[in-house]
Amino acid sequence: MTFGGTAPNQPTRTHTCPWCGLASDGTQLNCPACGATIDVEQVVSNSGWTELPGRRDMAKLQFGNSHCQIEGTYVPVADFNLSPADGVYFSHHVLLWKEPQVNIAAMSLKGAWKRLFAGLPLIMTQAVGPGHIAFSMDAAGEVIALPLQPGQGVDVREHIFMVATLNITYDWFSTNVWFTTRSGDETETHYPLGAFMDRFYAPQSPGLLLLHAAGNVFTRHLTQGQTILVKPTALLFKDPSVQMQLHFEHPNGTTRSWRSWGERYLWLRLFGPGRVAVQSAYAHMHDNGRNITRHSTATRQQW
Amino acid sequence: MKHCPTCNRTFDDTKAFCGLDGTRLIQDAPTPSVEQQYNPPAAHAAPVAPIMPAAPPAPPATPRVEQPRAAQVSAADPLERLRCEWCQAMNEKTALSCRACGAPLDIKNLVSESGWREAPRIKDMTEIHFGASTCQVEGEIVPVAELNLAQGDSVFFEHHVMLWKDDRTPMGVMPLQGGIKRALAGMPFIISLAYGPGRIAFSRDATGELVVMPLHPGMELDVREHAFLLASHHISYSYVRIKGLRNILFGGQGMFMDRFVTGAQPGLLLLHGYGDVFERVLQPGESIMIEPGAFLYKDASVTMNVETQKLTTGFFGGTGMNLARMTGPGRVGIQSMYVHHHTD
Repeated sequence: MTFGGTAPNQPTRTHTCPWCGLASDGTQLNCPACGATIDVEQVVSNSGWTELPGRRDMAKLQFGNSHCQIEGTYVPVADFNLSPADGVYFSHHVLLWKEPQVNIAAMSLKGAWKRLFAGLPLIMTQAVGPGHIAFSMDAAGEVIALPLQPGQGVDVREHIFMVATLNITYDWFSTNVWFTTRSGDETETHYPLGAFMDRFYAPQSPGLLLLHAAGNVFTRHLTQGQTILVKPTALLFKDPSVQMQLHFEHPNGTTRSWRSWGERYLWLRLFGPGRVAVQSAYAHMHDNGRNITRHSTATRQQW
Repeated sequence: MKHCPTCNRTFDDTKAFCGLDGTRLIQDAPTPSVEQQYNPPAAHAAPVAPIMPAAPPAPPATPRVEQPRAAQVSAADPLERLRCEWCQAMNEKTALSCRACGAPLDIKNLVSESGWREAPRIKDMTEIHFGASTCQVEGEIVPVAELNLAQGDSVFFEHHVMLWKDDRTPMGVMPLQGGIKRALAGMPFIISLAYGPGRIAFSRDATGELVVMPLHPGMELDVREHAFLLASHHISYSYVRIKGLRNILFGGQGMFMDRFVTGAQPGLLLLHGYGDVFERVLQPGESIMIEPGAFLYKDASVTMNVETQKLTTGFFGGTGMNLARMTGPGRVGIQSMYVHHHTD
């Protein structure tokens, strides 16, 4: 990797962004596609997790003829300057402000009943340039810029998505990660990861996807067959090639029953190959401690 | 006396370096008083009429020791001053942070391409001066405002933001009009007062920023309810009813806004914004649409009207999205985390 610095008289020096892979001349302080700082090396933990690259306040990202400026550090704002031919779509609750001339309209989605019952946004909103429009989410954390190249896709846990350019397709699929508990005649189905996941795909032209994570963000590449256990609510996104299933773990010294939270840990097992990302501030996972009667494909460990 | 140009703390002449941040101390220079040096920009100087009876006018010649010397220095070398771009106060040329609002003077103003200026991130342990008292801002994620109140100074605040106090710092209650209305509207029924001499500290229970708003004479600021942390006694406090049923129902902030007005003397107003805070100055007639929950403050000259946009999709009918149209002239402040985040 070559750091181009800021010398304008050395245009041949190139820099490949370790986060998004874009090759640039390295004369800017930030990667023009994802905003990652160019002059700061990646921070990798001893265990192999890579921290989301730092981003300077007011960093600019280029896409199409438009660009996006990331403002703030605690709860960052994504401020889009849309050119006439460009547009974005988003869940309407992330809209922070817009110029009056920016038109917004609803984007219909398939499977509205299922989405309604699953708690997913029923309406996706789209905005078309020209003009400024800005978005933020309601948690201290980081904005993750994922430039998608043609043919590239990513699976995102629900409610993480912030905004995407119109040339990225949006779909969703069942996670097939669930278990049921029973107490008397009452049966309850649990989805530790949510019933559905969002899938974003760039079919023909590159696009920009912005996610919001609570806390800090860490990623790692799993090799073929490599596996890792993560807290289900900490998962942010994964490559479509990464498979997942439940894992139950019973600590040593407890009885072999499914009766209480203290006697079992619930994990999400991820199988490579591909990239996975987690966030450090995650929602509390409630387990009512009742007997598990059925579950999706899972592994189990009794210590 | 010497002081640290980074955090504004004062030290005696025997010290060479700041014990807090290691910066080399500089000899105190005559400092012009903020009220004398302030030259309000056009956008901030909208003519306003106080809605509350202003405090009794102060004696025109405030007996501040610095004034005569400041005038001499200013006349001798008018260029050797740094103007704070956030509050417009003048500072001595060696200062690294503004004495009046704590904004770093050695860091470039952060303004987005669309014209939003980021509220200055106050460096940890920076001291702010108001009247004869000081306020030290401690911490950065959930900052604390620690006040050292001098005799004769006081501040008012909502009691739930109080973090700690010296046991001998006197406390009182501000008499307010319209108590029943305030109680019904969910606004604080009681505004507390703390008097000097003594120390008292305040913080809110969320990640965010302290926004220091030195209010210069003749200013009038409307603030989202519960967003104000404290204000000095030089500022009159009242509330205004939000006009229009749509604004009340869909404006995201209830029926009332706090209104702060300065009379003849400047005052200090501290707000707390969730997440990051941005400010934009609207020109006359210019408007911007914002999420109502993101509104933090505005000049009284800025009008606010909630507009609803229907978003429909086939059989399900869709939903309505409410946005507040803010129309200038004046300042508008917004916060980027506009819903209180519950971890569960």
